[in-house]
Amino acid sequence: MEATKKYLSVAFFAFLGGAARYGLNQQFSFYGTFAGNILGCFLLAFLTYLFLKITTTKDWLVTGLSTGFVGAFTTFSSFNLDTLKLLAAGQSLGALLYFLLSILCGFFFAFLGKKATLAVSQKMIERS
Amino acid sequence: MGFAAAFGASFGAVLRYAITNYGKKHWMKQSVFPWPTLLINLTGAFLLGLLFRLKLGVFWYALLGSGVLGGYTTFSTLNVEMLSLADSGQRRTLKHYLLASYLGGLALVTVGYALGGL
Repeated sequence: MEATKKYLSVAFFAFLGGAARYGLNQQFSFYGTFAGNILGCFLLAFLTYLFLKITTTKDWLVTGLSTGFVGAFTTFSSFNLDTLKLLAAGQSLGALLYFLLSILCGFFFAFLGKKATLAVSQKMIERS
Repeated sequence: MGFAAAFGASFGAVLRYAITNYGKKHWMKQSVFPWPTLLINLTGAFLLGLLFRLKLGVFWYALLGSGVLGGYTTFSTLNVEMLSLADSGQRRTLKHYLLASYLGGLALVTVGYALGGL
């Protein structure tokens, strides 16, 4: 029952995450995919580290938001294909920049997401 | 097209969740190496390269490419896993995971693309 609930939650939230990613990509091409991936790294780190500190009975919601929404909002396959497309178009510098900036910014924003959790949980402790 | 992509992403994410659950139980008993995500991302990169080259038309590419494979693979989980490896001081594993993901992904999307052109 609990497992089924989580699968349904992942499916539902991934629908939203996928739609948001598709919209971003339609509007801004690979800049949209880049921005979505970086933002997603921040969000997933924030959620992951936040729910290590806060216990909740709504596990299905946490799984839906992180694995479902953010997981589907970000994409690894398009990131690789975009790099290849740039290479194939002869834009080697663009491809290198896109590839390296995604790697560096992805990790850095995940780190920022974790730091943001620490700041938020500190505030919550002070308040209680 | 947006609906097709969203519907596909839903399906891809459920597949990712199932593989991750299975992999965590069976492949990660003795090691902290994130095998499930690596497998997902590499196979997804390969398949997207192939699909793109096959020029299926807008609807099918939105459903299967942007949708299923976009929702199946994940960039955020990869980075949070690397962060957690960094946190626990697993530097070697982090390095291997990073190289396998990014160099492997680029290599496999290229192989998929080349195969699609045959």
